[in-house]
Amino acid sequence: MPMKLLENPTVKATVRDAVLIVVGCAAFGLAFNGLRPSGGIPVVQREEYDLLVPCPDISAEVDPLEPTDPRLGAERTLVIDAREAEAFAAWHHASARNAVYDFLDPLPEETVREIARSGAAMVAVYGDGADPDTGRELAKEIASKGIRNVYFVRGGAPALRERSTAR
Amino acid sequence: MKRFASWPGHAWIALPVRVYLAAIFLLACYHKILDPHAFALDVATYQILPLALVNLMAIVLPWIELATGVMLLVGLRTRPAALLIAGMMVVFTMALSIALAKGLDMSCGCFASQGADEDPISWTTLVRDAVWLAMAAYVLFFDKRPLGLDRLLERRGPPVAAQPNP
Repeated sequence: MPMKLLENPTVKATVRDAVLIVVGCAAFGLAFNGLRPSGGIPVVQREEYDLLVPCPDISAEVDPLEPTDPRLGAERTLVIDAREAEAFAAWHHASARNAVYDFLDPLPEETVREIARSGAAMVAVYGDGADPDTGRELAKEIASKGIRNVYFVRGGAPALRERSTAR
Repeated sequence: MKRFASWPGHAWIALPVRVYLAAIFLLACYHKILDPHAFALDVATYQILPLALVNLMAIVLPWIELATGVMLLVGLRTRPAALLIAGMMVVFTMALSIALAKGLDMSCGCFASQGADEDPISWTTLVRDAVWLAMAAYVLFFDKRPLGLDRLLERRGPPVAAQPNP
């Protein structure tokens, strides 16, 4: 049936033109990607992308991130401030969003969903920098929900603030 | 049915449909061309394509969207453009269905102007894509003499050779 359809000159011409458009676009797209001033992206990706999709792999261990780490300012990094709203209002990292950590109450499901949907490649959480650090605890809780690439900022908000003041 | 299909009024109904679809696709390709890495991540999030094809898709697809959008808008090679748009909509709809069936909680990745929080995939997204697919199919099957460059070029084309008298 499809072969018979292709015998129709109009259908044949339509399919032929569509194929030519795809070939032309592919050639142009590849050339444009190669000539991008930023170098474009590799045509064949070899390293797995870090995706923030909830998965059953539950690991509550999170690695620390130094307050000077440049990834904190990256576009695809989701920075979360685990402190109380008042402390957040007084000072917070430029791109941070507030998700107050409570030692007794579990993290709201909606917050986890928001993080998963954010499209971020990495989640950096900072808290009050005390012992125990609310940032570290929140990071662990987020990681335990199956979100990957979650880190806590060593020293929390005081360390981050000190670094921003020093600059 | 044949009479309905050959009704000349389809060209006028298809015109706003074409403009609408063109606007959607031109809007959709913009951020993908500007930031192919972000789009590659969106493609990868669907977890459907093998890793080796993710970037190729992210590099080529936006240009097909741009070309078909422009062609639909100006009425140049309208039916091949509509065929490609319908094809893309079929692929997008399938990808969305698989992602929804897997229970992935993710952004659609259709338009960057909408943040991930504002554009999560849902059954509504699926219905929206199905409507766009139907619109593309309408242009493909019923807009036989599209208003635009195709019709203009058809008029200016070489005269049809005289048929020999039987």
